[in-house]
Amino acid sequence: MWNYYFVLGWRSLKRNPILTTLMILILAIGIGASMTSLTMLLVLSGDPMPHKSERLFVPKFHIQDMRGYKAGDDPDFQLTYIDAKNLLRDKKGKAQTVLYGISPTIDSGRKDLPPFFERGMATTGDIFSMFDMPFRFGNGWSADADDAAANVAVIGPELSEKLFKKDNPVGKTIRVDDRDYTIAGVLDTWKPTPKFYRLYGTEATSRPEQLWLPFTNAVSREYRNNGWNNCSGDGAGPGYEGWLKSECTWLQYWVELESASDAPRYKDYLNAYVAEQKKLGRMPRPEKLQLLNLREWLEDAGVVGRDTKLSTWMAFGFLMVCIVNLVALMLAKFTARSGDIGVRRALGASRKEIFHQYLIEAAVIGLVGAVLGLGLSWYGVHILSSRLAAADDFYQIDFKMLMITLTISICAALLAGLLPTWRACQVRPAIQLKSQ
Amino acid sequence: MIKMQQLSKVYRTHLIETHALRGFDITVKEGEFVAVTGPSGSGKTTFLNIAGLLEEFTGGEFWLDGVSVKGLDDNARSKLRNEKLGFIFQGFNLIPDLNLFDNVDVPLRYRGFNAAERKRRIEEALGRVGLSSRLKHYPAELSGGQQQRVAIARALAGSPKVLLADEPTGNLDSQMARGVMELLEDINAQGTTILMVTHDPELAARAQRNVHIMDGTVTDLTQETQHAIRHVAETA
Amino acid sequence: MEIRPIFSAMMRSKTGVILIALQIALTLAILANALYVVKDRTSEANRASGVDDANVFMIAVLDKDTNGIIARQQRDEDTLRSIPGVAGVALTSQMPLSQSGSSTGVQVDPKAQDSQVNAALYAVSETFVKTLGLKIVEGRDFNANDMLVIDQSKAEKPKVTGALISKDLAKTLYPNEASALGKVFYQGVGEPPIEIIGVVETLVSPWGRASWNNNSNGGDSFILPARFIQPYNMYAVRTEPGQRDRVMKEAEKTLLALMPGRLVVENKSMDQMREERYRGEHTMANGLLIVIGLLLVMTASGIVGLASLWVNQRRKQIGVRRALGARRADILRYFVTENVMICMFGIVIGSGLAIALNRAMMSELELQRLPLVYLAMGAVALLTLGVLAVLGPAWRAAQIAPAIATRSA
Repeated sequence: MWNYYFVLGWRSLKRNPILTTLMILILAIGIGASMTSLTMLLVLSGDPMPHKSERLFVPKFHIQDMRGYKAGDDPDFQLTYIDAKNLLRDKKGKAQTVLYGISPTIDSGRKDLPPFFERGMATTGDIFSMFDMPFRFGNGWSADADDAAANVAVIGPELSEKLFKKDNPVGKTIRVDDRDYTIAGVLDTWKPTPKFYRLYGTEATSRPEQLWLPFTNAVSREYRNNGWNNCSGDGAGPGYEGWLKSECTWLQYWVELESASDAPRYKDYLNAYVAEQKKLGRMPRPEKLQLLNLREWLEDAGVVGRDTKLSTWMAFGFLMVCIVNLVALMLAKFTARSGDIGVRRALGASRKEIFHQYLIEAAVIGLVGAVLGLGLSWYGVHILSSRLAAADDFYQIDFKMLMITLTISICAALLAGLLPTWRACQVRPAIQLKSQ
Repeated sequence: MIKMQQLSKVYRTHLIETHALRGFDITVKEGEFVAVTGPSGSGKTTFLNIAGLLEEFTGGEFWLDGVSVKGLDDNARSKLRNEKLGFIFQGFNLIPDLNLFDNVDVPLRYRGFNAAERKRRIEEALGRVGLSSRLKHYPAELSGGQQQRVAIARALAGSPKVLLADEPTGNLDSQMARGVMELLEDINAQGTTILMVTHDPELAARAQRNVHIMDGTVTDLTQETQHAIRHVAETA
Repeated sequence: MEIRPIFSAMMRSKTGVILIALQIALTLAILANALYVVKDRTSEANRASGVDDANVFMIAVLDKDTNGIIARQQRDEDTLRSIPGVAGVALTSQMPLSQSGSSTGVQVDPKAQDSQVNAALYAVSETFVKTLGLKIVEGRDFNANDMLVIDQSKAEKPKVTGALISKDLAKTLYPNEASALGKVFYQGVGEPPIEIIGVVETLVSPWGRASWNNNSNGGDSFILPARFIQPYNMYAVRTEPGQRDRVMKEAEKTLLALMPGRLVVENKSMDQMREERYRGEHTMANGLLIVIGLLLVMTASGIVGLASLWVNQRRKQIGVRRALGARRADILRYFVTENVMICMFGIVIGSGLAIALNRAMMSELELQRLPLVYLAMGAVALLTLGVLAVLGPAWRAAQIAPAIATRSA
């Protein structure tokens, strides 16, 4: 029977092409708008490390002094050099790392490729396993390399192809700011969505950096942080040494714990650390520190901006208006078919059967509208990705979104069809037959 | 009251010219009750439409209550229609979404009477047709005869000079029909000119005067012919 | 006006009325809020930077060492000045709307612990004001004698004694004074006083209105006459009208030629920096305008559809009214009145919905309260749209001949 209704619905849609086109167009535009914004919302609020997000943490300390202090102020989200060194030395987590941004010059040595800037990260060797970074060739550097501040580097796939084409460059050197670094490994394509590990100083919608150097090495070369620096109090003393000794926060710290249940214990360690520092006259503010897991960190940093949420609200409001419009159109269409309904009822169709038939017709509209709407949202997502995201393939429609689109479209069409279908059932056969 | 001279009405399409009325002469005096008979397609309806200022005519002259209608624009004709004429249709033509009070109210609104005046006239008109107890009812709740009476009240409410009736009993059973006819006679007795189109000879006989339309021209039936027609109808 | 009978007749076919009224209500709710957001985003995106946007660009270079950097900066500036079409050159630490730079807390009370205002810090050479095209409204511009050299690797730093500030900052620091000229401010507790020697009308920060600095509209800036000793140097250049693109290319070539091993880090025009900063705002505003346009089209077509349906359904009735004395204008007026009633019905409900939506968005999305003028604008727009939409079907209704009344059913 459902097959029959499907065929009937399809045929009836073809019979009145203008009305049908209008209905499908309106539904498609509503679906297109709402699914575009929903895609962006879902991509931004996604979990970039779903299997691990419970075990990756960022501590937020109150490092600033009492100047400008108001109760309830947010703690600092980065660390000072002092604190980073201390936490790295203590090694209380399963793995820990710090990051800061550098932008050195790369000299390819080739005439056809003059020296250029590369945005890079200074970090410790733990990071590659902590963030499950995939390698195309080789692997990261060892803890010994960190201790020795060795001249080793890990490069990204684009940089590797730029310098070495498709060859395996592990063991070769790369000239960074007039010094040769041995390449320990080349990363494979890695697209953490959003780019969670460095939300301050770069865009959450950008792609990972292409150059990774040991943190100790970068410090030994007096590289400044190309990112977010927050100096409170008296600022930094003169020179790089003054910078390292200062209360400026410029390092992003991440810790991986064995399991989520270890968090309270790690937090106790951090609290004890703070108490120690307070004795040394640092960290004067009274509030407690925070330990955020990956998802809490994304929320705290406000990755999903206000405008993304606003667009989603507006787009779904727009979809509602489209549905109301659709109700009116379906009503007009179904009412015009009162004669058809009257005859069917006279020939024995029950109210329920008429209901099913017309509901299926509405569902067919939902299906076609979904396909067109999906096309529209694919287009919309593509355009907005290139305009708004640092990486223009950042926003994508995946299988989950496809299913969501289909479901919402068919539901919207069914919702719109409820009233007209119910009306269709109320048609009294006698009256319809008489008036013809 | 109504005077038409050499009136003609021609309908033109691309290919065909239809002469609905030709060389039409008729004079209806104030207070007359005239029945207009004729076979279907004879031009009765066209005549009524023109007499009722619902349609324009092609040639000739037409005076309504001393005013020449020829060359009047649509607004002027509407005004004249509103003030001087009352209509009664075969299909009643009450507005289904309005109750009886509001139905009778319709022509009065276009007249520009104030609310108190309208209320008085509506109540009086509905009272005259015997339906003052059903003011708030809707047409669907009434019988055919009652609906026609409401239509008559609507036609009367504006105190028209001429009542134009198009087959007023056509959709009614014989008892209701009789009631309506009695009402019409009563109205005529009180001074209103009535022009009634009908193909029922019995009804025609109740009018003072009969005119017969055939092929777009009019013939005044003499008393003898009228009498003969009545006699034929009775013995049939 | 036959309002009551029109209303009671209209109410007999409630479905159509409710659908249109609902559509208008929902549209108004979205329209009012969307209009406000569009206005807000567009006015931020169009805000004056204080700079002669069309003719200014920034070029930044990185040299390998810092020896003789001050002389090098001056040579770079002179070289740039010699390019034909250049109207002004200055060394600067940051550019407005570039989304990169530094800001710091400033205060008027040297001892206060908690009254800091966050302001953007521009460290520039003395030609900065003229180069950017800033307008001095009080006091004076910098001159060569004001200039300091700051070496961050040394402990002893020369004290800045005088600075220029933006009018926004003047109002923030000294809200109750008519003029801040001659007054002082401090870059922190225990810092020496800095005298305000001049006020510029507008100098926006590198970030404009920023989400991390909710207390400010992004216009609090101050300018120090100081050259920093560092390998990275940024120059602001102003060109004659129409010359900018050509000069940008030449500037890059000439600066590179001056120093071997030098790299040009960035070469960007104010227009481009502005475009990048406000791309989000523009996209949001445009997206909302598209939605608004579609909503209005849908509402209009819904009204046209329903009105046409009703005109068709009421053909006989319209003829009867005409027969009873209605003029064409009366029929037109009937449909327009009916339409206005439905629209008003929708607008009243929609106003409530608009405010409710706004409240919900205020709490969930940190939106501002909707100023009622946008609600009024939306209501007027929808009412006008409704009347215009119904005119077509209403006019057709008015053309229906009275003779229809006598036609048999």
